[in-house]
Amino acid sequence: MAGIWIIAKMSLLENSRKQVFHVMCLLMLAVIAGSTLLTIFTDGVQTKILKDLCMTCLLFGGAAMAIALGATGVPNDIESRTIHPLLARPLTRVQYLIGKFLGTFITVSLGVAAMTVVFGALIMMYQHSIDSSLGLAVLFTLLEAAIIAAVAITISTFASPAITTVLTFMIYLAGTIKIGYIGELIEKSQAGLSKGLYLLIYHALPNLECFNLKSALVHQEIIPGLYLSQVAVYGICYIAFTLVVGASYFASREV
Amino acid sequence: MSHPIETENLRKVYKLGKRKGDRIAVDSLNIAVPEGAVFGFLGPNGAGKTTTIKMLLDFVHPTSGSATIFGNPTSAASSRRLIGYLPEQPYFHKFLRPIEVVSMHASLAGVPRKEVRQHSISALERSGIAEYSDTPIGKLSKGLTQRVGIAQAIVGDPKLLIMDEPTSGLDPIGRRHARDLILQLRDEGRTIFLSSHLLSEVESTCDIIAVLKRGKLVAMGKPDDVQAKGKQVTIQVDTLTDETKASLKFAKVGIEEEAGAIRLCVAPEMLYWVIRMLEKSGAKILRLQTERESLEEAFLRLAA
Ligand SMILES: Nc1ncnc2c1ncn2[C@@H]1O[C@H](COP(=O)(O)OP(=O)(O)OP(=O)(O)O)[C@@H](O)[C@H]1O
Ligand SMILES: [Mg+2]
Repeated sequence: MAGIWIIAKMSLLENSRKQVFHVMCLLMLAVIAGSTLLTIFTDGVQTKILKDLCMTCLLFGGAAMAIALGATGVPNDIESRTIHPLLARPLTRVQYLIGKFLGTFITVSLGVAAMTVVFGALIMMYQHSIDSSLGLAVLFTLLEAAIIAAVAITISTFASPAITTVLTFMIYLAGTIKIGYIGELIEKSQAGLSKGLYLLIYHALPNLECFNLKSALVHQEIIPGLYLSQVAVYGICYIAFTLVVGASYFASREV
Repeated sequence: MSHPIETENLRKVYKLGKRKGDRIAVDSLNIAVPEGAVFGFLGPNGAGKTTTIKMLLDFVHPTSGSATIFGNPTSAASSRRLIGYLPEQPYFHKFLRPIEVVSMHASLAGVPRKEVRQHSISALERSGIAEYSDTPIGKLSKGLTQRVGIAQAIVGDPKLLIMDEPTSGLDPIGRRHARDLILQLRDEGRTIFLSSHLLSEVESTCDIIAVLKRGKLVAMGKPDDVQAKGKQVTIQVDTLTDETKASLKFAKVGIEEEAGAIRLCVAPEMLYWVIRMLEKSGAKILRLQTERESLEEAFLRLAA
């Protein structure tokens, strides 16, 4: 257990010095600059558009960071052989991989938290109040980022950073449109091989759309607690399953 | 008590793909490293030294055979509890500072949290890198990075140090320092397993050496045992008649003539006979010298 935390801490330290937060800063500046254009809309529309913009940036920023850091962390350690002194310690490969995941996740969380503070202040300026669902929306964005990071890290145990980035991005896209598009494909296709294939893809892909609470935030709807807890359990199970797959392959590979 | 390192028919074959076939990196290696010794693992480039070390640390898996560390199979993470490892050309995350890397290794090695800092500082001092402990590793030179590697290897009181070319990249002062450090570590009761090509160094630090050639063990023992026993005697003479030359040659005495100097290489048991021959022929003996194979010559003889 201690080993996992040490790796996570080191990976956080390393990531935070890699200037990854600069991306976040750029995104924040873009949103702040963009928000000045909102004055052309009426008050109600203004806050709606602003919240939409902020949530999109949070989602996008979190996912981009998760992919970029998750896809490079492990392969870079292997490529540069910085992994050797670590694995020469009484640390299992599984602990190392989970530590890497946690380090990546904490880095992403810090970035998202910083963005949230800035965006919260911005919304406060326009709306003179903060929606209670903002916190929830951010938490579920983080859960989504964690899934993406777990997927990226798992793929990166056997693929290069470039391939991992592309694959994870494709899974991210597919996971976002999964219900609508692939669900439709399943309904349309006849029973048989292709239906089986679609079903397999459907269930293997993470359902990322369910973590997106943007419309609820924008339209100030109440989200049922049961739904939220189901989604949270689904997310955590998906992460655990993905990491188990990654760790069991990583434990047997040569470094 | 089990040995710090013991291997049994350890073998590693790298698959290079269908067309290129396989490469046997290590073949039927049997070694036992006794506790408290400095064990030198020698061999030319590509002999399989690093591959052996990687198998000991479970980075790569043996194709067949097995190895144990203090009696534990290398596949168990617990076998690495007592190890400090210095990689060949160590690399560390370049944004981290030496003190951070060494502290992290101290924690991983199980040093209690309160003592981590003190242990790390003392390891950095012992490796001669204390003044750079806050410089990002990416900004350190090769030799300085090597010293960070040494510091992280010795932190946390390891009973066994596995060092892959500990003196590579170090200047003469650093090399001397590293050699002294290795001897100090041995005097503290630790076992040291080091690979090297620097023979003069190995000769002066190692208690036991093993020579590897294309993955196979070709010699093992005390440095004195590995060096050829038969000391040779070289006799330099002023002249040599053709007749004497012929009979010396017949007795398989080596004759070297260069730049007017004539040297005879004689096995000790032939010495009296040769001297009598020389006396009879009236040759004058200019110099008489016993020579002993250096470790370098032994290495070249064994590894060539
Ligand atoms: N990952 C690998 N894949 C294929 N072949 C490898 C791999 N690693 C090492 N080899 C081969 O195995 C052999 C032994 O290599 P190894 O690195 O163990 O040598 P070494 O004794 O450490 O040499 P050096 O003194 O140059 O460090 C070499 O022929 C090398 O090319
Ligand atoms: Mg080597």
